[in-house]
Amino acid sequence: MNSEDTAATGRTSGAGVQAPILEAEHLKKAYNGRPALRDLSFSLAPGRILGFLGPNGAGKTTAIRILTTILEPDAGRFTIAGIDSRCPEQIRARIGVLPESQGYPKEMTGVGYLTYFARHYGWSAKDAQRLSWALLEVVGLQHRARSLIGSYSRGMRQRLGIARALVNDPAVVFLDEPTLGLDPRGQQELLALIRRLAREHGAAVILCSHLLSEIESVCDDVVILSQGQVVAKGSVLDVIGRARGSGVRVQVPLSAMADAEQVLEALPFVVRVVPKGQGSGWLLVEVLGGSAESNIAHNAVLEALILAKIPILTFEAEGSRLQEVFLQLTEETIR
Amino acid sequence: MSETAFVHREGVTRGGSWRLVLERELVDLWLGGKALVLLTLFSILLGITAYLMATNNELRLLPIKEIAYLMLKLVVAFGLFMSLIIGADSISGERERGTLEGLLLTPTSRRQIMLGKFFAALSAWPPAFLLASPLIAVLCRDSQVVSWSLLWGGILGTVLVLGVTGLAMLVSFWSGSNRTSIAVSLIIYLVFLLPTQFPGQAQTGAFGDLLQKWNPLEASNVFLAKVIVNNRTVGEMSSWLVAPILFAVLMLSVLFLYASPGLGLEPGRARGRASWGRIAGLLAVAWVVATMLVGAYPTAAASSDSPVQVVVDREWVTARTGDRVEFTTLVKNTSSAATPPLIVAMNIINLQGEVVDPEDWSPQRTQSMDPLVPGASVEHTWIIDAILKGDYLVYMVVIPQPAGQESTSSPVASSGIHLTVTPFTRINPRGVLPLAVGIPLSLTATTFLLRWRRRRAITVGEREG
Repeated sequence: MNSEDTAATGRTSGAGVQAPILEAEHLKKAYNGRPALRDLSFSLAPGRILGFLGPNGAGKTTAIRILTTILEPDAGRFTIAGIDSRCPEQIRARIGVLPESQGYPKEMTGVGYLTYFARHYGWSAKDAQRLSWALLEVVGLQHRARSLIGSYSRGMRQRLGIARALVNDPAVVFLDEPTLGLDPRGQQELLALIRRLAREHGAAVILCSHLLSEIESVCDDVVILSQGQVVAKGSVLDVIGRARGSGVRVQVPLSAMADAEQVLEALPFVVRVVPKGQGSGWLLVEVLGGSAESNIAHNAVLEALILAKIPILTFEAEGSRLQEVFLQLTEETIR
Repeated sequence: MSETAFVHREGVTRGGSWRLVLERELVDLWLGGKALVLLTLFSILLGITAYLMATNNELRLLPIKEIAYLMLKLVVAFGLFMSLIIGADSISGERERGTLEGLLLTPTSRRQIMLGKFFAALSAWPPAFLLASPLIAVLCRDSQVVSWSLLWGGILGTVLVLGVTGLAMLVSFWSGSNRTSIAVSLIIYLVFLLPTQFPGQAQTGAFGDLLQKWNPLEASNVFLAKVIVNNRTVGEMSSWLVAPILFAVLMLSVLFLYASPGLGLEPGRARGRASWGRIAGLLAVAWVVATMLVGAYPTAAASSDSPVQVVVDREWVTARTGDRVEFTTLVKNTSSAATPPLIVAMNIINLQGEVVDPEDWSPQRTQSMDPLVPGASVEHTWIIDAILKGDYLVYMVVIPQPAGQESTSSPVASSGIHLTVTPFTRINPRGVLPLAVGIPLSLTATTFLLRWRRRRAITVGEREG
């Protein structure tokens, strides 16, 4: 795999970079001639958590379904734990999946449901039941183990789905909107569980979520998709940092706006200064350079305003949050 | 986090994973209620039909063989309906309920999943057949008729259920929604039933024969009617078995060889390179081969002055519908010359002038004889099944073979046997009633009990939550 295609190279350990547990190369998929996934390549090391981002229709679900062998790609290939995508049954034995729109049989009990799925992975009935109780404890459902799923709340079903994704101690776990329907405490507990899964058990996790704060807080790496193509990939910090170079927003008193514009336009690395929002005192300052240079530029902007004795009401580095990077990148693609 | 929860287990795709799917599907079908509800409805219909047959005067006149046939026709029709509904829901229904994806994500192969679902969809047929068996036994009370009817009803019903379940699952595999799947399956089922609704003339002749012979449902009905009611032999009617068998083989081949590997969340996206053209070709070749087999099958060929005598050993007989009457004939050459080859034929007429189809009354109506030397005689045994009440005359005719194309011969007739058939009176309605009422009641009670238990379990679960 080309090193440029590598989004998540893995954490370095004493022995160096860990070999990827998942490698995807040039995956493509179209529905009736309409491309859903144009060229997806990335890799993921064990113990890493990768956030899969993109607006609706970006190709996330298609990508997840290809990687979980539910769909066949039109082109490209991938390996999971060294198993080629042409062996889907072997791959399914090594992955755990929580699909986005998972249905549950209402007539089964929680423990019965997990036992059934565990047996598909070769566990005996007795062992499968023991494992199911343990997993229900992990997701906090042990007290409802013998209740029918029909009586579960949405959040409880979501936790049951996560438990099901873990019945085979998977090498790679795919979680599509796992916190959907969970209360804030449930969300925090689940994110902690995902972290433990990656850190303590070395599972690679691919997390799809619309909650960008969730991705930012729990993921090591991120792949942003828009209209079926990758618009950004790498570590979360790298992706945020890459977009930060675009500029800063400064709010000054209205009376000082003209002076501030004059001072900032005089700076050599400033491309342009654009007033934002009528009568709000906001100025958008576009600066040159990558992430390292832009940090210096941000300091220089502050310094110039202070030296000119212009009061600074608010100062924000644009693109400092994943959400802004996401909106900026996906908006550019749509345009 | 519990360590035991994360003991790694290498996923094993075992050949028997279909049993897991089957177990799960059976619980869903039978405890979830759908199959039990359908079976309960069937038992009510069956009970009403059996009771009407036993009590209604007009229907009570039906010969036992026809009762057996009608009951079997009902069982097969409803068995097919149940299999169709369950099969049509098996894939598209799971897609809609969102439960298919979880199953597709396990290491169990698509074919194993399909196999488990297929056997589950078949599960309604054996209980339906078993429910009808005691009723048929009570209604007919002739162990020979009952066992013969159940044997062929069971065999043909099973073949048809295999084919129809395969068909419904294929429709389900290709359908985008569950509603479409069930509607399309029912329309196909009605199309199969349609020829039976054509006017009588449309069912005769080459086209009518083709329609009947190549419609698996109609061909099965004709086979059962002729073999059970009309005393035809299985050998004579074997060409009518081609359509149902071929239908089942084709449906199962397409389901397991073509569709199964492509089982997925999207409707009808079979993997591999098999194309519609190939499937159509396969169907066409199979149909042509079957046509040849039918064409090659020898149709029963019907094959004419001499001083011979034919005498019967009885003058009159009284029987009840369903009885079997046996008599003998003696053909004797009374001349001084040898006879040509002879044909002895039996005929029966209704003395009230009603139309009688002699073939319905006897398994063998003609017997051929070698030439008889002067003074020689041959004895034959004949059987008549008294199938309808009335006044009849049975007589025998001996036909000498004509000497050539431009010659004829004079048939010789025997004296007649006056046959009086009285209505069948052995059916005891009190014997039928407990079964006709008891079976549906038991099933209804079981259905309600299971539903009550489920509702209670959910209520208790919610309270605990």
